[in-house]
Amino acid sequence: MKTSYKLLLTFGIIVALGLIIHFPGYKLARAHVNSKTAVEDHPLLCTSCHLYTSKNKLLSKLVNTDYFSPFNMAVSKDGSNLYVVAQESNELLVVDSKNRKVTNKIKVGEYPHTVILDNAGKMAYVSNQWSDNISVIDLAASKVIDTLKTGNGPAGLSLSSDGKYIYVVNSFSSGISVIDLSTKEEKKRFDAGNNPTGTQLSPDGKSLLVTSRRALIAPYGDTLKSELTVIDENTQRVRERLNVKSAYMMENVAFTPAGDLALLTMIRPKNLVPSIQVEQGWMMNYGIVIVEQKEKGRIIQLLVDEPNAYYSDPFDIVITPDGKKAFMSNSGVNFISVINIDSVRAIISGASPELLSEYSNNLGVSSRFVMKRIKTGADPKGLVLSPDGKLLYVAEQLEDRIAVINTETLETINTIDLGGTHRITVARQGRRLFNNSGHTFQNQFDCYTCHPDNHEDGLVYNMASKDMGRNLTNTQSLREIRDTPPFKWNGKNQTVYKQDGMRFSTVLTRSEAFNYDDLDAITAYILTGIKYPPNLQYNANGILTPGELRGKAIFERTKDNLGNIIPENNRCITCHTPPFFTNLKLASVGTLALTDDSMKFDTPHLNNIFQSPPYLHDGRAATLEEIWTKYGKEEKHGVANDMTKNQLNDLVDYLKSLRAPRYDGKDSKKQKTSLKSN
Amino acid sequence: MYNLRATIILSFLMALCSSGFLFTSCKGKSMEGMIIITRTSGKTQKLKSNSGDSGNFTTQSQIVALNPEKPGSAVKVLTSAYFSASSPEISCDAMYMLFSARQKETDNCQIYEMNLNNSKIRQVTSEKGDCTDPAYLPNGRIVYSKSTGNEILKRGNSLFTCNADGSDIRKITFNPCTYFSSTVLKDGRVLTLGSQIYPDKQDAMLIVLRPDGTKAELFYKGEKGSYLISGGHETGDGKIVFVESGKDGHKGNDVVSINYNRPTHTRVNLTSELKGNFYSVLPLQTGKLLVSYRPPDLERYSLYEFDPEKKTLGRTIYNNTENDVLEAVLVEKHERAKKLPSEVDMGVKTGLLLCQDINVFNPQSESNGRPFLKSSRIEVIGIDSTMGTINVEKDGSFYLKVMADTPFRIQTIDEKGKVLNGPCGWIWLRPNERRGCVGCHEDQELVPDNKVPFSVKKAPVNVPVHINKVVEKKVSLE
Repeated sequence: MKTSYKLLLTFGIIVALGLIIHFPGYKLARAHVNSKTAVEDHPLLCTSCHLYTSKNKLLSKLVNTDYFSPFNMAVSKDGSNLYVVAQESNELLVVDSKNRKVTNKIKVGEYPHTVILDNAGKMAYVSNQWSDNISVIDLAASKVIDTLKTGNGPAGLSLSSDGKYIYVVNSFSSGISVIDLSTKEEKKRFDAGNNPTGTQLSPDGKSLLVTSRRALIAPYGDTLKSELTVIDENTQRVRERLNVKSAYMMENVAFTPAGDLALLTMIRPKNLVPSIQVEQGWMMNYGIVIVEQKEKGRIIQLLVDEPNAYYSDPFDIVITPDGKKAFMSNSGVNFISVINIDSVRAIISGASPELLSEYSNNLGVSSRFVMKRIKTGADPKGLVLSPDGKLLYVAEQLEDRIAVINTETLETINTIDLGGTHRITVARQGRRLFNNSGHTFQNQFDCYTCHPDNHEDGLVYNMASKDMGRNLTNTQSLREIRDTPPFKWNGKNQTVYKQDGMRFSTVLTRSEAFNYDDLDAITAYILTGIKYPPNLQYNANGILTPGELRGKAIFERTKDNLGNIIPENNRCITCHTPPFFTNLKLASVGTLALTDDSMKFDTPHLNNIFQSPPYLHDGRAATLEEIWTKYGKEEKHGVANDMTKNQLNDLVDYLKSLRAPRYDGKDSKKQKTSLKSN
Repeated sequence: MYNLRATIILSFLMALCSSGFLFTSCKGKSMEGMIIITRTSGKTQKLKSNSGDSGNFTTQSQIVALNPEKPGSAVKVLTSAYFSASSPEISCDAMYMLFSARQKETDNCQIYEMNLNNSKIRQVTSEKGDCTDPAYLPNGRIVYSKSTGNEILKRGNSLFTCNADGSDIRKITFNPCTYFSSTVLKDGRVLTLGSQIYPDKQDAMLIVLRPDGTKAELFYKGEKGSYLISGGHETGDGKIVFVESGKDGHKGNDVVSINYNRPTHTRVNLTSELKGNFYSVLPLQTGKLLVSYRPPDLERYSLYEFDPEKKTLGRTIYNNTENDVLEAVLVEKHERAKKLPSEVDMGVKTGLLLCQDINVFNPQSESNGRPFLKSSRIEVIGIDSTMGTINVEKDGSFYLKVMADTPFRIQTIDEKGKVLNGPCGWIWLRPNERRGCVGCHEDQELVPDNKVPFSVKKAPVNVPVHINKVVEKKVSLE
């Protein structure tokens, strides 16, 4: 055969093979990707599922990396050292603030939250939120010298005015522990709001304020109230429980040097208003709570938002030593808002209650007290001022960096690189997107806003999917949802790709949908980067108490107390199958409300369920018990009416003991190790 | 013979393989960096401002291109084949230009698109009315004004969108107002100059709406005695600039800026110190502005650079004793606006409107001595008749299901039947649009209070009220 024919034949075969492979191959690939993503337009990228969200440990290790994720900070008395809580590496980083170098890394407990220094500046105390303890660090030796046991989920810390006690805010068990530093024993513990975190001692040392993040549980429709707990430092008793109305997520608090005002960060959600638009602040607003520190002091709220710009997820707040300026980190938009405190005083001075009420919903008022917005790196969290108040340090959590801002010029003058990797993995990019409001119309909210700590915010929303006032929706946790599809209460979204796709932008963010790279990133983060905290409160070591064991037997029972067989589809264990305690199917449990469209509900997963009140799809049950005592009379949600109160208590105790399966595997060692140190 | 055949076949295959490259790399000379100007000869007519009577269209105007780096060099006329052309708009990749033009004096004005690499022009619209003021939408569609007069409205422009090839035309404004000079904000919404023409004529305002016609709302309204001359353009630093007349005791037309974040309270007159008149303004990515300006001692509008920080006029970019410069655009790549999703469903016949409290009041105005009177009812008024009177709930809320794409206004009524406030400006709802307002005459900067409106605990009230039932397409549950 002549060369020309050979060439032609070869070319023809290649083309024919290409066509044969391409068309059926493309169809097969398309069908495969469609089935895995539950959408029809995701690009045919193998990496989306087989790399970024891979369960293969080797692959996962290759594509991911470790970060510091600076969270909160403290500064030494002379300003020479910064102490940075690195939440992901479980370390306290010692930073030479002058040379902008990390000089030491001290290993602390799991998921550290806050650091404070003692009055002499020789010791540091770090709360370890996932270890239920405090690391006591000798700063000269750069060494953990002791561990103090706390309540569940220690977060904010404050020393008593005489330095003899440490107040620990137990964020998970909603309480405050008072620990005697001489005996290292917990002297007393009292309740504090719901999911408290921030705390600050007044300049006169008389009052300790503790802020709550979640609102107090109340029926849908009631005015939202979040507790600000006031503790009398002298008597170490709760002096007052103030209700801050229509606000939640009060992360942190700061006093003016004169002590006449306390400023708190806060969110004013619109969960009771039908979610029909984003325009005109219809979903979320952000601002400060001002608490006058005097007899019958007023509680005032001012928004830091503007009519077409929202400053989402306020986290920390600090006030300069001269009492003139406050700095607030707006984590969702990567800004620091600078607040003129004299202007705040002028606005509230002599204002009538009606006017102040109007101010709390007015987007224009911020122009009278916000002096400047300073741009930061990704996800600014903790703030700390140098002792002379001239420098502001900002923990840029998702930048692994500390920003240094001149408090006079209000310019960023430096950044401190914490020395970690500069590679941004796909999952890390997803975490940035999760925490950033840039994908929502006018930056009004982000995933983190309703899913703080990747969990849920404890609120019920009127998502107004069809008509307004219908289909109330209890926010669901995003912790370890990888193996629990479908998603949403009605189970309409089989994958996160679908959940966060085009419809998500149409009905919720009302702005441009995630592009495919972003969608891959946010899916990678949600499926691989979100873990349950250990259940140290109810099931620390995997050994159930006798009551929990009895509850387990009830959970798994096949006969009621009278010996009647319980139909299989009405047994707890049938639908709530371990290890995630869901059979991944839809069910009707007699909870459909008149205001709900006809639907079945996705069986929710139950691990760490104690952290997710209220319960049921519309949040009607304030407690686990109410699921049966108030809303289970028809026995469609399991057979419960035969149970004695003790049996019900046992069942609830067992449910509260449920924890992530990984704590029963390899990670259980970690948990037990941290417990031993207690 | 075979060798020759082999050579031919090989050459053919090589040519085939390389054709893609050849075709894709066959581009003309880029016009990036050039300034494109609409100029008009003042001999034929007086320069007409956009005070609300017409769109930004002037007869016998030309679109020309000039190189700003070579002042004094000849301009290139881009629309010599047209009787008149204006309103150039550059695509975000700086490859194409939209403009409106009239081929012959008797023709309607239509939208055209020019490929800036090879100057080829294609017609986008072929409509009966005049189509003017085109702007690129981020989803590949185009928004433009079209004259849509009828018996009641006489003459006015509505906004329409269409595909880049002119297909799939959709009307997006439905009230008796006229709209023109639209631009697209970075947030994806259309910013347009609109003024009511029925029942009475009112001054133009800046209106903002989503490209599907939903969520139309006031963006900026000048104070009494002023009127808007040009549409607004967004700058790189979060401001909107436009030309306004009649304020600050200044007789001429001035360049004004407002902040995107707070448009109604941040007005700054950038040219109050300059005598003369401004006709249009365009922001550049450098932070400077291009302005069409006529000093008091000259007869013609020329093109200048303007520094908004220093509030000073810069170099003259183009002047011509025979022509006025109406407007200018720089051929440069720019950030694409956000593609907003649409909630419009043409299978649905109605939209929903929720008002949280018609009795929301401003405590400051009450303290000024004005008594506050509570309303207990509203009347919904259509173009030529009432659409019904509706009791509001005890908390002042109401919840309406209104026939889509139908203009209406609302006025509030007290217990004795006396009209207290209103009627408000014209509202329309797109099919399946769900919209909320805090109150009827609330401060625009007020957000809703976090409470369940009583009205949403019931079914919405149909409007017009004589409609007993609206059979809707079933909307799938989210």
